[in-house]
Amino acid sequence: MSKEAAFPRSSRAGNSRGLLWLAAALWLLPSEALAQKNSPDIPVVSTVTAIQNARIVPSPGQVIESGTVVFRDGVITAVGRRVDIPYDAHVIDGGDSLSVYAGFIDALSHVGIPEPRNQGQPESVPDRSNPPFERAGITPEASARTALDPEDDAVEAMRHAGFTTALVAPRGRMLPGQATLALLAGTNASEMILQGAEPMFFQFEGAQGVYPGTPMGVMSKFRQLYREADRRRKLEAMYSEDPSGLSKPPFDPVHEAFFPVIAGNRSVAIWADDVLEIHRAMTLQEELGFSMMLFGLEGGFDTLSKVAASGVPVALTLDLPDKPRWAAKVEADSLQQILDAYDDETRTATFRDVEAEQRNLESRQLWSRARYVGMAAAYHDAGVPFAFASMGVDAKDIHANLREMIGEGLSSDAALAALTTNAASMLGLSDRMGAIRTGMMANLVVTHGSLFNEDTKITMTFVNGHMFEAPASTGRTGSNSPSDR
Amino acid sequence: MKRFMTFVLAVGFLIQPFEVQAQEQDEKARQGTYAITNARIETVANGTIERGTVVIEGDRIIAVGENVAIPDGARVIDGSGLHVYPGMIDSGTNLGLTEIGSVAETNDTNEIGDITPHMEALTAVNPNAVAIPVTRVSGVTTVVAEPTGGLLPGTAALVNLFGYTAEQMSAGSKMVIVQFPQEPSGNRPRWQQSGPDRRQERYKDALAKLDEVFDRAELYDRIMTAYAADPSGKEQPVYAPEMDALRPVLSGDVALMVKVDAADDILKAIDWVQKRELPNVVFSGVNEGWRVADKLAEAGIPTLVGPVLATPTRSSDRYDRAYANAGLMAEAGVKVAIRSGESENVRNLPFNAGFAATYGLGKEAALRAVTLAPAEMFGIADDYGSIEVGKKANLFVSDGDPFETSTNILALFIDGFNVPIESRHIDLYEEFLNRDEGRLQPVEILPADN
Amino acid sequence: MKYTFSTTLLALLVVVSLGQAAFAQDVLIRNATVLTVTNGTLEDTDVLITDGVIADIGTDLRAPRGVDVIDATGKFVMPGIIDAHAHIALSSINEGSSPVTAEVSMEDVVNPYHLGIYRASAGGVTVSHTMHGSANVIGGQNETIKHRWGATNPDAIRFVGAPRTIKFALGENPTRVHGRRASGGSGAIVPATRMGVEQVLRSAFENGKRYMEAWDAYNAEAATNPRAVPPVWNERLEVMADILRGEILVHCHSYRADEIVMLTRVLKDYGVDKITFQHANEAFKVAPELAAYGAHASVFADWWSYKFEVYYSTAYNAAILTRNGVITSVNSDSGELNRHLYHEAAKSQRYGGLTDDEALALITINPAIQLGIQDRVGSIEIGKDGDVAIFEGHPLSIYTIPVLTYVDGVKVFDRENDPDDVRVDVDPTAEVGMYEGQITGKDHIHSHEEVVDMLHFFQSVADTHIH
Repeated sequence: MSKEAAFPRSSRAGNSRGLLWLAAALWLLPSEALAQKNSPDIPVVSTVTAIQNARIVPSPGQVIESGTVVFRDGVITAVGRRVDIPYDAHVIDGGDSLSVYAGFIDALSHVGIPEPRNQGQPESVPDRSNPPFERAGITPEASARTALDPEDDAVEAMRHAGFTTALVAPRGRMLPGQATLALLAGTNASEMILQGAEPMFFQFEGAQGVYPGTPMGVMSKFRQLYREADRRRKLEAMYSEDPSGLSKPPFDPVHEAFFPVIAGNRSVAIWADDVLEIHRAMTLQEELGFSMMLFGLEGGFDTLSKVAASGVPVALTLDLPDKPRWAAKVEADSLQQILDAYDDETRTATFRDVEAEQRNLESRQLWSRARYVGMAAAYHDAGVPFAFASMGVDAKDIHANLREMIGEGLSSDAALAALTTNAASMLGLSDRMGAIRTGMMANLVVTHGSLFNEDTKITMTFVNGHMFEAPASTGRTGSNSPSDR
Repeated sequence: MKRFMTFVLAVGFLIQPFEVQAQEQDEKARQGTYAITNARIETVANGTIERGTVVIEGDRIIAVGENVAIPDGARVIDGSGLHVYPGMIDSGTNLGLTEIGSVAETNDTNEIGDITPHMEALTAVNPNAVAIPVTRVSGVTTVVAEPTGGLLPGTAALVNLFGYTAEQMSAGSKMVIVQFPQEPSGNRPRWQQSGPDRRQERYKDALAKLDEVFDRAELYDRIMTAYAADPSGKEQPVYAPEMDALRPVLSGDVALMVKVDAADDILKAIDWVQKRELPNVVFSGVNEGWRVADKLAEAGIPTLVGPVLATPTRSSDRYDRAYANAGLMAEAGVKVAIRSGESENVRNLPFNAGFAATYGLGKEAALRAVTLAPAEMFGIADDYGSIEVGKKANLFVSDGDPFETSTNILALFIDGFNVPIESRHIDLYEEFLNRDEGRLQPVEILPADN
Repeated sequence: MKYTFSTTLLALLVVVSLGQAAFAQDVLIRNATVLTVTNGTLEDTDVLITDGVIADIGTDLRAPRGVDVIDATGKFVMPGIIDAHAHIALSSINEGSSPVTAEVSMEDVVNPYHLGIYRASAGGVTVSHTMHGSANVIGGQNETIKHRWGATNPDAIRFVGAPRTIKFALGENPTRVHGRRASGGSGAIVPATRMGVEQVLRSAFENGKRYMEAWDAYNAEAATNPRAVPPVWNERLEVMADILRGEILVHCHSYRADEIVMLTRVLKDYGVDKITFQHANEAFKVAPELAAYGAHASVFADWWSYKFEVYYSTAYNAAILTRNGVITSVNSDSGELNRHLYHEAAKSQRYGGLTDDEALALITINPAIQLGIQDRVGSIEIGKDGDVAIFEGHPLSIYTIPVLTYVDGVKVFDRENDPDDVRVDVDPTAEVGMYEGQITGKDHIHSHEEVVDMLHFFQSVADTHIH
C-alpha cells in the first residue's frame, strides 16, 4: 500500500505534517497488516508468535504434551518441549488446555470462488449441436487464480473449521479450468495464491441444452479434445522445428491447455460424485494414460479394491448422506437394535407381514448408511492413503461428519493424516506444510480440547502466521450445527 | 388365421339352408336368431356345460343348456371342439376417448379444470375408433371408458364395443370418477430439485378441496330436492352442472369410482368414503391393495384392480407383486375385477387376467373378474357378465381358453349382433401376408439409383 | 449416533461383494423338457453346464462332484431370453443435442446397480441389448450386457466378445427433437422432415467415408514420409468409418415403410449390409425388400397407435415378416415388458399362427443373430454359454411361471429362494416404505431415465412440450 494510493496529497499546508506522519506510519505498515488481531488500524508491533504450554501434535501419532511452537514472518522457527521464546514474541499461553495441530488442507473445493449470483437461463445458441467452447463449459485454459476472492464467505467459514490451505477448483461444467493451491487468507486474491501444482479440473457435468449434455457425451468430448490435442502437439513440434512445406497447425487455447497434460507435466483432477463416476474416470485414465488425481468417491465402497490396485491418489469427500428422517426421531441405542435385527429371510407374503417389512427396510437403510460413514475407515484399513475434499459440503458440517466417521471405525490419527500429511503429500506441499516442523509455513489450528471430541472448540487458526480467532458464539466443532447430522 | 379360415368354411357347410351367408361374404353385423351347438359353455354363473347349446334371439340369450331346441330358421354355428364365453368386461380404459396418444387433437380424455364430474365420456367416445374392432376381436365386448385429469375428471361410461351412436353403445352404467389425492413421497423427483417444496401443501389443499366439493354437493342436493318438491315462491337454484353430476353419487344411484393406488392413500380413501357415507363406491387401480387387503375387505369396497402387467410399486418389493396383487386381495376377502388401464391395447385384458390367475387369483376367479364381478359392481348383472337366459347376448366362441395366446376368437356377439372378426390389423395381415401375389411381372427391389 | 456392523450384516456385505467373484459356474439340470429352439424339443433330458458353458445335453448325465443338481422334472428349459431393445442398466440414454452422436457410447454409462437387470432375469432374460435413445438420426453405440445381478463393476456385466452396435433413428423422434422443437430460441436444425433425415444420413456416411480415405492416405504416406500430416482427429467420424468397415452392426429405430426402404438404399450406396430395423411397425409392408437385402427386424408384439407413424400397423407384423423370410425378433423397449418377453413372443401365435419353435426363436436365436452373438447364445447347444431359463409350464402358455434363470451357469434368479428386496445399493436417506409408482405395459413412451434426460435437456433451455 503506497502512500500515494492511501493519501492523495492535500494542498493545505496546515495538515501536511500530520498527514506526513500518518503516511509514514501507514507506509511502515507491512502489507499483511494482520499480525495480532484483525483490526487494521492498530499498529503491528511484532511478527513473531509463540504458543506455549500447549499440547502440540506435530503430525499424526506424535504428541508433545506440554510444549511450545514459535513462528516468525509466517515460518515455524522452533517447536518442542523446551524452546527459547524470542524476546519480541507475542506469547499465547495454552494454559495446558489448548492443543495445536497443523492447519488442515482441503484437497479440493470451490472455497474462495463465490457462487455466481442469479444464474438465469443459459444463453441460447444458433446450433446447439456445435456450440462455442465456453457455452459448452469447456474452458480448460482458464484458471481459478483469476476468480479467487478472499472475501468469499466460505473462506472464513473454512478457516473457522481449521482449514488453512486448499486446492481451489474453478466453478463450471465439464472443464472449468485449472485448479490452484491457495491459502485461506489474504487481503487480495494474489496473496492467496500458492505456487505449485495446477491440475486441470474435470467433472462429469454436461452443458445445459447444448452438446455435450450427458455423461457419455462428456466422456466422448474429453476423448475428442485429448486426442486432437495430441495430434496438434506433435504438429506444433514438427512445425516449430522446421515449418517448410507445412500448413500452420490449427490453434486454440482449449486444445493447447491439454499439451502439458499429454506431456505428463500436469495432472487431471477428476471429481467423481458417485461410484459410477469413479469407474468412468478410471476408464478415461486407462485409455488415455494421463496422470490422474481422484476426488469425491462418495459411495465408493464397491470400488475400493480397484482404486487401491490402481495407485491413483485420492481424496474422499467430507460429505455424508443425511440421516433418514425416521431415524432422527429414534434413540441411538434403538437404532443399533434395529440394525442388529435385520433378517434377510423375511418375506412379505401378505398384509400381515407389512409391519415386519417396514422394520427390515429400516434396518437395511441403516446398514447402507453405515457403509457410507465407514468408507473412510475401510479405505484406511485397506492401506489406501487419502486426503479429504470439502467440495459440496458446508464448513459447519465438516467436524460432525468427521466425528461420525471416527465413530464408525476411522482412527483419529488417520483422520488427522487425511487432513494434513496425506493432503500435503498428494498436493506436493509436504516440504512446506501439513506438519508442525521447523522451517514449515506457520499454518496451525488451535483447539480447546482434543480435536475430534464432541465438545471441542477451535479457538484460533493461523494462516501463514496470521491469526484468526474464532468468533465467540461459533467455533464449536460440536452440535451447534442446525442440521443435526 | 388358418384356423379361422377353416372355421369359416365349416360354418359355410353346416348352417341351415336359405340365406346361407358364409362369414367372409357377409361383412355386416346382423342380429337374428343364432344357435351355437355342441360347444363347451363357460356360463360363469352356473359352472361349465361340457357340451351344450346357446340360443340367441335379437339382443338376448333365450336358451342355454345341454339339450336345447334350436328354433327354425336359426343360423347354426357348430361349436364342436370349441368354447363359448361371456364377453369380457374391462373395468378401466381410455378406449374410444383417444385415437393416437401423441397427437393432442385425437385425445379427449382430459378436460380443463379440476372439478369436472359432469364431463361425460359416453358422448365423447368415438364409436368408429380404429381400436374398437381391434379390441373386440379378442373377446372384450364391453369397457369402461374413463376421462382423466384433475380431482374430478368426469363421468366414465360403460360401453359395448359395437354400435354407431352413444345410445347404441351404452351398456347401461356410468360412474363418477374421483382421483384421490396422492400423498407425496419423501423424495422429490430428480428433475424438480430446485425451488421450495410445495408438494405437502398442495396435497393438503387437494384433500380439503375434495371435502369442500362434496360438502357443497350435499347442500346443492338439499336445495334441489326442496325446489323440486315445491318450486313455488322459491328462487331458481343456480346452474351448477358439476353438482348435478354429483347428486346421484350422494344417493347411490351412480357409483363413485375412486382412483387410488398407494397403501396409505387407500386407507385414507376408505375413511373418507365412510365418513361421507357414500353408498355406492368402487376403488380403481388399487395397485397396493394387497398391503391393506384386510381393511378393504372389512370396508366391503369392491375393487377394479390393474393393470396387472406392471412393475412393483416399490424398489424393495418382490418382483411379481403387481401380478399377485389381485390374488392376495381376493384371498383376504376383497371383491376384485380386473382392468387393463389401456387405450389402444385393451385386447390385452385377458392376458392381464391370465397373469393374475397364474400368480394367485386362480383361473375361475380371474374369469369372473372380467365378467360377472364387474357386472355386479356396475349394477348391470341382470343383463351382462354371464351366459344365462335373459341376459344380453354378449359372448364369443373360441378354440380354447381365451387367456391363452394360442387361442383364436372365431365368432363374436355383442348385443346379439354377430360381429365380423375383422379389424384393421387383420385387414393389413390379409393384404400384406403375400403382398405381391397379384403382380404378374416382378419389379426389381431396391434399384441402385436413388 | 454410534453403531457398528453386526455380523449378519457383515455377512451380507461379503455376499454382495462376492457378486464380483465367479462369473462362470457349474450346474446340472435334470429331467426337463428341453426346448433347444434349433434342434427341436427333447423330453426328459438333462443339461450339464460346466464352467459357464453347456457341456452336455442328454439323458442320465452324471453330475461331477460338488455340482448343483436341479431336479427339473415336469419343468421346461429354454435358452436364456435375449432382449434386442432395452434401456435398462444405463445412467443416461439420449445425448439429444445433436442429430449425429456416433461417438458416444452406452458402454460409458452402464449401471450394474439397476434393479431392471434382476427384474428382467425374473422373466428369463439373460442378455439385453441396452441402447442409446431415439432422439438422433445417428445416436450412440449400444451395449450388449449379461444379466449378472450382484456385479458392481460396470465392466463385469458386459457381454465380452459381442460385436459393436450403433443406434440410428428415423421418423418422428429425430425430426421432433431437432427440427420441430425450437429449443428456447436456439433454433431448429435439420432434420425436420423425413427428407432431412435421409440427407443427415448421407452426409454422415459421406463424411465418414472421406475421413476414412484421408486416414488411409495418411497411413500410406506416413510409411515413407515422417513429415506426413495426419487428418484432424474426429471421434464421431471414426465411428462412421468403423460402420463402413463393417465393424459395427446398425440397429435402426424406424416405423414407416418408406423410411425403412430409404435406409436400405442409403446403406446399399455405402456398402453397409448389416442392419436390423427396430420397432419397424410397418416393416411388414416391405417384407420382400427386407428379405432381399438380408435386413432383420426387431419388433413389438402389439404396440401401435401411440404415435401417428404407428397408426397403420398390425400385431401380425412378426408373423408376416417371418413368413416372408425376414429374421425377426420381438423386443421390449420397456422395463415392464422385458419381464415377460416369453408372453410377448407367444402373441405371435394368436396374431399369425407361428409355431412354438418359431415363436421361441423370436426371443432367442433370432435376436442373437441380430446382435451377432449367435455362436454364443440363443439356443441350447453344446458349446454355447450356459444361459438358460427354467419354467413351470410351457413358456408360451399364459399360465407359465419362470422359476430359475442362469447366466453362464450362475444362478441369477431363483423364485423360491430369492429375498423380496434384492437391491444391491440402498438409498441411505430416502424415506422408507414409500409408494414409488409403476411402469405399466402402456408406458412405452420412455423409460424413466430417458424422460429425465429429455426434461433436463429441454428445461435447461426453456423448451416447453415433451411428448
